Amino acid sequence: MEIATSRTGRFLLTGFFWLLVLFLYLPIAVLALFSFNDGDPSFPLSGFTTHWYGDVVSNHVLVTALGRSAVVATISSLIAVALGVMTSFALIRRRFFGKPIVSALVFSPLVIPYLVFGISLLLIFTLVDKVLTETMGVYFGLGLHSVIIGHVVVALPYTILTILPLLERLSVNLDEAAKDLGANPRETFRRITLPLLMPALVSAFLVAFTLSFDEFAIASFLAGTQETWPVYLFAQLRVPRLLPQLIAVSSVVFLGSLLLIMSAEIGRRLAQRRYGAEYTGGGFAA
Amino acid sequence: MATVVRSEAAVSAKRWGRRERGVTAALLSAPLLWLLLFFILPVAYVALYSLGAIKILPTDTGVISLDTWSRFLGGGSIYMSLFWKSIRMSLTVSVAVVLLAYPIGYFLALVVRKLKYVLLLVIIVPFLTSFLLRVLAWKVMLGDKGVFNSLLVSLHLRGANDPIEWLLYSQFTVMLVLAYAWIPFVALPIFVSLDNMDRSLLEAASDLGCSRMRTFWRVTLPLSLPGLVAGFVFVFVPTIGEFVTPLLVGGTSGYMYGNAIQDLFTRSQDWQTGSVLAIFLLAVVAGLMLIFGRYIQVRSVAAD
Repeated sequence: MEIATSRTGRFLLTGFFWLLVLFLYLPIAVLALFSFNDGDPSFPLSGFTTHWYGDVVSNHVLVTALGRSAVVATISSLIAVALGVMTSFALIRRRFFGKPIVSALVFSPLVIPYLVFGISLLLIFTLVDKVLTETMGVYFGLGLHSVIIGHVVVALPYTILTILPLLERLSVNLDEAAKDLGANPRETFRRITLPLLMPALVSAFLVAFTLSFDEFAIASFLAGTQETWPVYLFAQLRVPRLLPQLIAVSSVVFLGSLLLIMSAEIGRRLAQRRYGAEYTGGGFAA
Repeated sequence: MATVVRSEAAVSAKRWGRRERGVTAALLSAPLLWLLLFFILPVAYVALYSLGAIKILPTDTGVISLDTWSRFLGGGSIYMSLFWKSIRMSLTVSVAVVLLAYPIGYFLALVVRKLKYVLLLVIIVPFLTSFLLRVLAWKVMLGDKGVFNSLLVSLHLRGANDPIEWLLYSQFTVMLVLAYAWIPFVALPIFVSLDNMDRSLLEAASDLGCSRMRTFWRVTLPLSLPGLVAGFVFVFVPTIGEFVTPLLVGGTSGYMYGNAIQDLFTRSQDWQTGSVLAIFLLAVVAGLMLIFGRYIQVRSVAAD
C-alpha cells in the first residue's frame, strides 16, 4: 500500500502541481508572446514581428544599463565568492571563540530588508563624502562602486550557504594525504582543495551573479546617475511606448538566466560523476 | 631532563596555537571587516540618525531627542496604522503561500519518484528570474487594456468600455503578485523537510493502524513543521518591507509601510522620520528572527 497518499490523493496532487506550474509560467509565457506582437500588449494580437528585438539593440541607454549590471554583478560576485570561501573555511575547519556570533552576523543580511540596507548605505556614503570634501576635497559620490559594495554584503550569505555543504563533506584526510606526500599548504590548496571545491564556487558565483544582476532596491538608492538594468527597467515601466521593447529584452534576460541555471546544474552533475558523490555538494536544487 | 622536554613541548604547542589563531584571523579578517564597515556601521549610523544625533541635511538639528520616535510610536500615527496594514497584508500573503506551497512540497517529496529534482527545478526556475519582470508580467496581464481585460473584450464577455478595474492597482493585486513571486521559494524548505523525513515512520504508523489522514496529522505534518515555519518566515519577513510591488501594481490603496519609508527619503526628504521607520522595521524583523530563528535551519534555503 502507498502510505503517503491514496490513489485519489495522488491524482489530486498531480493535478494541483501542474495547475500551479501553469500559474507560475503563464505570465512569463504571455510576456514572451507579446514580445513578438506588432502592437500594444493586448488582445487581439496584431501580427508577428521581431522589430522590438531590433529596437533593443539600437537603444543605447538600455544596452549601457545592461552592461553596467553585468559589470556590477561580475565584480560583486567575485568578491562575495572570495569572502565566502574564507568564511566557510573558518566556520567548518577552524575552532575559534565566538563562532555562533560570527555565523549569525554573516547570515543576517539574508533577512535585512533591502530597502533599509540601501538607505543605510546611502546615509553613510553621504556622510563619508561630506567629511572627505570638507577635509581633503575628495568626492566619491554614488555610482557603480557603491552598488558593488552593497551587493557583496547581501550576496555573501548565499555564497557561504552554497560552499558550506561541499566543504563539510570534503574530507580533511585528502589535505593530510597531500601533506604526507610532501605538498606544502599552498600547493595543497591549489592542487587538491580548490579543484574539488570548484563546482561549489561556480554555483556560488552564479547565485551571487543572478542576485546582483536583478537587484533593484539597493541599486535604486546607490546607483546615482549610473542606472543599472533593474533601475532603468523600473524607471521606464511608466512609459507605455517602451513597453514592448522592455518585454523583448526581459524575455532575452529570462532565457539567459535559464541557460545559466541549466548549465550550472549540468556542470554540477558532471562534476559529481567525475569526483564521485562523496566529494561534491549540492547545487541549486538537488 | 624531563622538565626541559615538557617545557619545550609547551613552547611548541604555544607557538602552534598562535599560528593556528593567525590562520583563523587571516581567514576571518576580510569578511568581518567588510561586514563591519558596510553593514553594521551603516545600520548603527541610521539608528543614531533616528535619534537626531547627527547632522547631514541643513534641516537637521543635531540635538539628541526621542521626539520623532514618540511621535511615531504614539497613538494615531499614520505610519503606525500603515505598519499594521502591511503586517495584515504580509500575513495574508504568507499564509496563502504556505497553503499553496505545502501540497507542492508534499507531492515532490513523497509522491514523485524519479523526476523529483527535475520537477523541483521547474518550480524554482521562475524564482531565479527577474523579480521586476514577474511584476511587470502581471501589470501587462491585469491592466484596464491589459491581456486579461482585452481577452474578455475579444471574447465578447465584457464591453470595450467596461473593463474589470479592480484587477490592477489594488491591495488585492499586491497580495496576488507577492504570493505569485514567493511560492517557489517556500516550496523549497517544505520539500527539504519532507524529503529528509524517515519513510519508515510512515510505515510504522500504518502498521500500528493509523489511517492516512491520521498519519498525516500525527506524523508527517509535525515532522515537516520546521520547513513550514521556515517557509512562512521567509515570505513574511521580506514582504513587510516590500515597496516595489505596491509601486508598480498597488496604486493608492496598495501603498505599504515600505513605500512610506522610501517616500520619506526621496520625496519629502524627512530623513529623520524615515530613519525611525527603518529602524523600527529592522527591530521587528530582528524580533521575529529571535522568536522563529530556532525553528529554522538556515541551510534548508540553501540548495543542499
